[in-house]
This record gives sequence, C-alpha cells and structure tokens, in this order.
Amino acid sequence: MKRYFAVLLGVLTAIGGFVDIGDLVTNAQAGARFGWSLVWVVLLGVVGICVFAEMSGRIAAISHRATFDLVRERLGPRMGFLNLLGSMLVTLLTFIAEIGGVALALQLVSSVHHVLLVPFVAAAVWIVLWRARFSSIENVLGLMGLALIGFAVALWQLGPDWGELASTLSPGEKPAAEGWATYAYFGVALFGAAMTPYEVFFFSSGGVEERWTRKDLGVMRANVFVGFPLGGLLSVAIAGCATVVFLPQGIAVETLGQVGLPVAVALGKVGLAVVVLGFFAATFGAACETGLSVGYSLAQYVGYPWGKLVRPAQAAAFHTSLLGVTVLAAGVLLTAVDPIMVTEASVVFSAIALPLTYFPILVVANDPDYLGEHRNGRLANTLGTIYLVIIGVVSTAAIPLMVATGMGRG
Amino acid sequence: MKGTLRRTVVAITAAASVLATGGCAVSAPDAAGWDEQARTSLADAAGEVATARLTLETAADERTWPSYAVVVLAEAEDAAATLHDDLAKVQVPAERREVAAEVLGLLAAAATSVREARQAAVGGRYGDPALMQELDRLLQALESGAESG
Repeated sequence: MKRYFAVLLGVLTAIGGFVDIGDLVTNAQAGARFGWSLVWVVLLGVVGICVFAEMSGRIAAISHRATFDLVRERLGPRMGFLNLLGSMLVTLLTFIAEIGGVALALQLVSSVHHVLLVPFVAAAVWIVLWRARFSSIENVLGLMGLALIGFAVALWQLGPDWGELASTLSPGEKPAAEGWATYAYFGVALFGAAMTPYEVFFFSSGGVEERWTRKDLGVMRANVFVGFPLGGLLSVAIAGCATVVFLPQGIAVETLGQVGLPVAVALGKVGLAVVVLGFFAATFGAACETGLSVGYSLAQYVGYPWGKLVRPAQAAAFHTSLLGVTVLAAGVLLTAVDPIMVTEASVVFSAIALPLTYFPILVVANDPDYLGEHRNGRLANTLGTIYLVIIGVVSTAAIPLMVATGMGRG
Repeated sequence: MKGTLRRTVVAITAAASVLATGGCAVSAPDAAGWDEQARTSLADAAGEVATARLTLETAADERTWPSYAVVVLAEAEDAAATLHDDLAKVQVPAERREVAAEVLGLLAAAATSVREARQAAVGGRYGDPALMQELDRLLQALESGAESG
C-alpha cells in the first residue's frame, strides 16, 4: 500500500511540477499564433525529457551519485566545465524567469507592480531553499501545481469543435500569415521549454537526496513515464485554450495575465483563481528547483558538500551559492527587465545548451563501471542517439532563427 | 594556444564592433521595409485592442476580479503605447509620409482607447457601451489597415 501511495504521489507531483513559466508562456504564445500545429513539438520534447530523465534517474539510483559529479569524473574537467558553464547559465536564466513569474502571478491578485514584489519573492524562495525539507518542496508545490489542470477543464468547457481542432495538428495547417521561420522559431522554443536542462539535474540530484536505490527504479520510471507525459498534456491544454480564444481574435500572448484569460472566459472567477494558484505553485516550485539545480551543479562539479540532507553548517558553500544566485536573480529583475522576455530568452538558450547537458548523460548512462547491468540497453541508446541528432539540429538552428525572426516577432 | 586566443579576441571584437555600429544607426528602412513594420505594428495594436475588449467583456460578466482585469489592461496599455512610440521613431520614407500620418494616427487612437479601457476598469465601469463600440470600430480599422498594408 505504501508503495502504491509513493507511486501515486510521485506521479501527481511529476504532473504538477512539469509545467513552469517557460511552458506556460511558450505554449500560450504558440497556441495563439499557430493553433495546435506545433503540438507535435511538445510531444517530441516530452518523449525526449522522459528518455534522458529516466537515464539520469537510473544513474542516481544505481551509482548514488548525481550527474555533474560523474560527468566531471568520466569526461574530464574541461568537458565537465563546458557542461557546467552551459547548463548552469541557462538554469540561472530560468531561475530569474521563475522568480519573475512568481512576482507576476502575485501581481494578478494584488495589483502591486511585480518589480516591487521581487525582493519579497526572492526572500521567500531563499528561506524555502534554506529551511524547507526537500520532500516538502517537491510534494507541496508539485501537488499545488495540479491546479493547472484548470486549463484542461477550461478547454473542455470552451466546447471547441474537436474535429476542427484536431485537424490543425498538422504543421501544414499553420496560419498562412505566419512564416515558416517564425514557425520553426516557436518549435525550437517549445522544444527548449519541454527539455529544459534543470529538470534532469533536479531529478537526478533529487534521487541522490532521497537516497534512491535499485529498488526505487520502478517508482522512478512510473514518475517519468506516466507523470511527465500527463504534465505534457497540461502544456497541450494551455495551447488549446489559447487556440480557441485568442487565435480567432488575432491576440498575441505577451503577459501572464493573458495566459489565464481563456480560463476566465470558460470557468469564471473560481476557475481563474485555481489556475492563478497553479501559476504561483508552478513558478515557485520551479524557482526552488532551478535555484537548487544551480547550487547542485556547482557543488557537484567543484566537489563540496551539497544537499538538503546535509546541515547548512556542513554545506556552507552550497547554501552561500544559493543565497548568491537568489540575490543575483532579484538584482536582475529589479532593473525592471520584463520577466516574460527573460522567459522567452531562457527557453531558446535552453535549446542552444541542450547538447552540453544531454550528451554527457548518454555517455555516463552507457558506462558499465557506474551502472553495471543497469547501463543503457539497445532501446535507450537508440532513442538517446536519435534525440542527440534532433538536439544538435535544434541547438544549431536556435540562434539563426532568433536573429532572423527578431525572437519570433517577425 | 596564444594564436588561437588572439584570433578569438579579434573575432569577438570585430563582431562586437559590427553589432555596436548597427545598434547605433538610426533605423531608416526603404518603403517596403517601412510597410512591413507598419503592418506588424497595426496587427499587434489590433491584438492589444482585442485583449482590452475581451478583458472588459469578461470583467463585465463578473468572470474576473478587478485587480486581474486592471493588470491585464495596464499591460495592454503599455504595449499599445510602445507600438506607437517605436514606429514613430522610424525614419519615414518620402513616398510614405501621408500613409505614415494615418498609421501613426490609428496607433495613437489604439493607445488612447486601451488607456480609456484601463481607466474604465479602475473605475469599475466594465460594460460601457460607447467604449465597447469605440474598441470595435478601432479593431476593424486596425485589422483592415494591417491587411491592406
């Protein structure tokens, strides 16, 4: 019974924790401009994140060591440093976007400008990172994130012509006014949002924090193969709501407030309140995950004690780095930079940095010295290799598309 | 190693110089380029007006709470004003002077109407028929302007 409960809790928190500010904004933007014609990219990204999260979870459960720790040891300090630099900068950018997202969510209920809320949000995130237990962060915020199911309910309540909506699934059904370069740019952004690197760092470091063993492989796989795809369906629902309400009216999504409007149209105040709670939980949860991921990756590379299970006094450098990145993130947001613009940049830079994250994981997951009989099988290697090719293409195309389309404005 | 480093520094400096030079230049597109910018601005402004209309309508049906509607409208107001200001800064080609005045007039009217929508929301007047009609009229004008190019 306890095991079933663990599976259920893991799956629910995986669903609730899957969506972050990048998914919220990018899916709504894509839905408003391209309908469901980019949903295939979300599905591609969800399968990709499942493939690599399973590998990194398996590495944590079998070797009891986290990703960066092994990457540096297996691929040497130079490759490890490249991996650290690329992934950490992108995760830091995502952390800034998530803190901004929390402030934007609070602005929707308070009318207080988000810049004024940033110091309080940053302080709250830091206190949670310092004081709260790892399982509390994961479970409480993950379960609260389930409030985003409101988007699926809203889509059903909006009562679209499902046949017509399904007919827009083909890339050929993109609106004629939109160019292929812009279509490809949003495809890259959606892929980056779905496969954002911090998810695997947090997942594998979390596995070490929770002391996974080979007995936990089943629960871990249930979280990944059931929770992540169901979380991906929330992304599809967000895009669907934007497709039904915004696309016919020619409204482009530029703010978090717009993301919630279709839910207000469909479900009224109660539904809107539920999804705004979901905005808060998703962004606050992701802020904690990205903040911890930055601290984890740095500590694992340098080799100092890390984690929520270690007393702060014994992991002083880890906790100091968490404080440092939180202050840095607040400082950036206090310049009044638009958090949505930071989010748009973070998902594209995620796409650029993907090879630096996922290539080393594939290498380590194939190493019998670390994983023994649990190293990658033929299926995992085939999928991993196919995804590395896709990731390479996406990463190479990201900057040219960003320049050519003026970050999707074109 | 030193040679590689020097080449990297030279390449980065050259790229930065090109970017800095481009960034400092006044935007002076040809007629086709200006048309494209005007079309995009009109379409985006139509989106902001449509957002304002939808938000007021939703608030009038009591499907949002006041602060939510005000925040969405205030952000639409900022965006609409920025669209006007950004296009106004672009050097107008001689053959587009008359059209430019019309387009900038439409964009200014959009910014004003969205501001009025935000003011109405702050005052709790969500369903003002005159304002809704004005938003509808502007929406049509902006959309036809964007389509006709």
